Amino acid sequence: MPLRRSKILVKWIYENQHKMQTLRRCSSTLRYKELEENSVQATLEHVAPVEAGAPTHQPRPDTTPDISFKYDDLRVSLAAPYQLQRKPEAVDLGFGKYFTDHMLKINYHTELGGWQKPEITPFENLSIHPAAKALHYAVQLFEGLKAYRGVDDKIRLFRPELNMERMNLAAKRSGLPMFDGEELIKCITRLVQIDQEWVPHSETSTLYIRPTLIGTEPTFGIVAPETAMLFAILSPVSAYYKTNSDGAVSIYADPNVVRAFPGGVGNRKVGSNYGPTIEITSQASKLGHQQVLWLFGPNQELTEVGAMNIFLVYINEHGDKQLSTPPLNGLILPGVTRRSILELASQWEDITVKEEVMTMDRVIELKNQGRLLEMFGAGTAVIITPISNVGYLDKNIHVPTMKQKHAVYQRLKDTLLAIQYGHIEHPYAKIIT
Amino acid sequence: MAQMMRKFVVSNMCVVVGLTRRSSARSLATGKTMPVKKPDLPPEGEITKSVFMSQSTDIYTNLAMEDWMYRNMDFSNHHVMMVWRNEPCVVIGRHQNPWLEANVPFLGEKDISLARRNSGGGTVYHDRGNLNITFFTHRDRYDRKYNLEIIKRALYRSFGIKSLINERQDIIVRDKYKVSGTAAKLGRLSAYHHCTLLVNANKADLSKALAKREHGIQTTATPSTPSPVANLADLDNRVTVESLQTAIGYEYLRTPALHIDDAGERHISKQRGFQFVNPTEDWYPGIAELRDELTTWDWCFGRTPEFTVSRSFPVPAELLPSKLYSATQELIITMTVEKGLINDVTLNIPPGLIESGFHGEASVITHLKGKRFTSEALAALEDAMLTRHLTGDIRKLDEKEQFVAKCFDQVVNTV
Repeated sequence: MPLRRSKILVKWIYENQHKMQTLRRCSSTLRYKELEENSVQATLEHVAPVEAGAPTHQPRPDTTPDISFKYDDLRVSLAAPYQLQRKPEAVDLGFGKYFTDHMLKINYHTELGGWQKPEITPFENLSIHPAAKALHYAVQLFEGLKAYRGVDDKIRLFRPELNMERMNLAAKRSGLPMFDGEELIKCITRLVQIDQEWVPHSETSTLYIRPTLIGTEPTFGIVAPETAMLFAILSPVSAYYKTNSDGAVSIYADPNVVRAFPGGVGNRKVGSNYGPTIEITSQASKLGHQQVLWLFGPNQELTEVGAMNIFLVYINEHGDKQLSTPPLNGLILPGVTRRSILELASQWEDITVKEEVMTMDRVIELKNQGRLLEMFGAGTAVIITPISNVGYLDKNIHVPTMKQKHAVYQRLKDTLLAIQYGHIEHPYAKIIT
Repeated sequence: MAQMMRKFVVSNMCVVVGLTRRSSARSLATGKTMPVKKPDLPPEGEITKSVFMSQSTDIYTNLAMEDWMYRNMDFSNHHVMMVWRNEPCVVIGRHQNPWLEANVPFLGEKDISLARRNSGGGTVYHDRGNLNITFFTHRDRYDRKYNLEIIKRALYRSFGIKSLINERQDIIVRDKYKVSGTAAKLGRLSAYHHCTLLVNANKADLSKALAKREHGIQTTATPSTPSPVANLADLDNRVTVESLQTAIGYEYLRTPALHIDDAGERHISKQRGFQFVNPTEDWYPGIAELRDELTTWDWCFGRTPEFTVSRSFPVPAELLPSKLYSATQELIITMTVEKGLINDVTLNIPPGLIESGFHGEASVITHLKGKRFTSEALAALEDAMLTRHLTGDIRKLDEKEQFVAKCFDQVVNTV
């Protein structure tokens, strides 16, 4: 009899080992440590040139936890005709004003073993307890990526695996649960397939995907939430943004305002980085500028602009054209567009690519010597926004971005758009239908 | 499942490799060169369905949307059913004669649009009480019977209405009333089948718009076959256009793609479901051009196959000189119309009219050639007759000329 009991016990342990979190926790922590080390390493080196089609130069950090929701468990409940939204005129779309008919929701309950089954439901409001941690302590994070309808009528996602990595890294910091990025990509793919007709068939509009993870546990303790929800909503956006008449923006730099600080979460996509930027942005707008240039430190280092990464193009000491952007030193969000630009530009022979710290003094010096050529912001929402003016202290520093004959920013924008819309076949764009 | 995984994990380069591997394996096995194999259509389980609901009620926009989808969308693994309705209009088939099929002056009076669709078949009257459904598939998967079965099952499942499909593929209720019209177009890659369902149409306007007057037209154009019709709402007042389109939509979604069966709610959750579509240029580039083409006179009227019109009019006694004639004095007007334009006109003027001084002939006729078969031609005729007056003062047609003009008017306008 003792033999039979232990056999059953062994069998039970074998079948349920994945539920026994205590056995695995230390190995997850180990993996996270490796991850941090990798990212610190990368900041100290130049970006190595990459062949088109070759795998990315950094080994993909293993952010896959052992317990995750699975796409195979996805339950779909389609909206009935009376629940659908009529489609607006494409010119009215704007950014994030209209949303599609369905949403993805995945709940997490520690008490029930962690991640529950994912579901796609008709778009609806969330019902949330007033004490939910997300509402009080910003225990939340979000992501942004786009789905493009290509010239061959196939829908493509742009490097979604990078967004998944980033999401998991941000989750860890706020005690939110991690998940398998591949499974989330599959769930999002199904969601995009259902709401596909929300992507206009022209090349001026795309579908913006907003996955969000919020801590919903309704207690005031500042500890890791025991319940959370991961949801994704889609918004059709048009490609037109407000700019000056020449298509470029003017930005405002105030050394007294700080977006992120060392040891903080500047390198994570969490909501708490964005809310507090509203006041200064509206002040900048009153002074005639469209975005804020975030400076840091006694040397007035350039970090980011608005909600985008910042790039400069100038003639360096060797007389070569150089594309520069601040390195990932903890203050900078590792943008997907940023990374793609660095990788693509590294393959061009006529330009040097460097991640380096830039200060306002350096910018002014380059400008005075006539060596400053272009300045632009890069992000998923706008792809690339050229900057023609920087308002700093009492001066306006004019940047001749729009006057360049074969502007680097235009070339990068055209290349990225060509990849996204399927004019060029490229591993960055993942076909999902 | 493994197949899907492969698609996600590896880029689309893998798919290309897969195809070439297959064809080279074949030639190895048979030892002879195989013809270029066109890609097989996906199996039934990989086809997902959508129901598109058009946000427009303009017949030209909706016909353009049908055309746009037929030309631009790939239906290999995606079947679509589009539901739409229109403001009052008459839609004639590709090869039909609008003057024969519809009461053109009445349409003009009541501001009812006339449209010619791209598919063949007969004439239908649409208004907001009429539901249009178009089924899109790949050309090889075209199946009219399947589509009509879906409608029949939906009528029964949701409203308990029993119907049958006759040999002409009409849906008949109560054994004799036709509630649907059907037409189709098959292309190289895609095919569509559209039908209309009478839910709550204005039957009075319907019969007036399609009324055949005495017209004297001989043509080889496809004639419509009239049948007694009924509104579905008369059979069961729960039937409205909204409830019917929802019912048919769900029936469509719950049925497997290639054979009739009930795969239930679970199957519905695997599909893409209902979607609104906004058929404007920004959402569907190229649609504006298709729409514009459909509104032109050249398309609606000019595409009419050649026909001949012949009418005879007895000349009123007061226009004849007082004399007794052996035969009844009749003015016979015969015209051939090609591409909607008058080609050849023959006026058989009875001797009585000639004797009383009517001068119209050759010059009048040549003025008509090339004019559109509408009041435009009539105006040209009157002009021509006026210019024949030798004295410049007379701006009015004399009685005989008025009579000829009136007859002419009848030929052109009441047809």
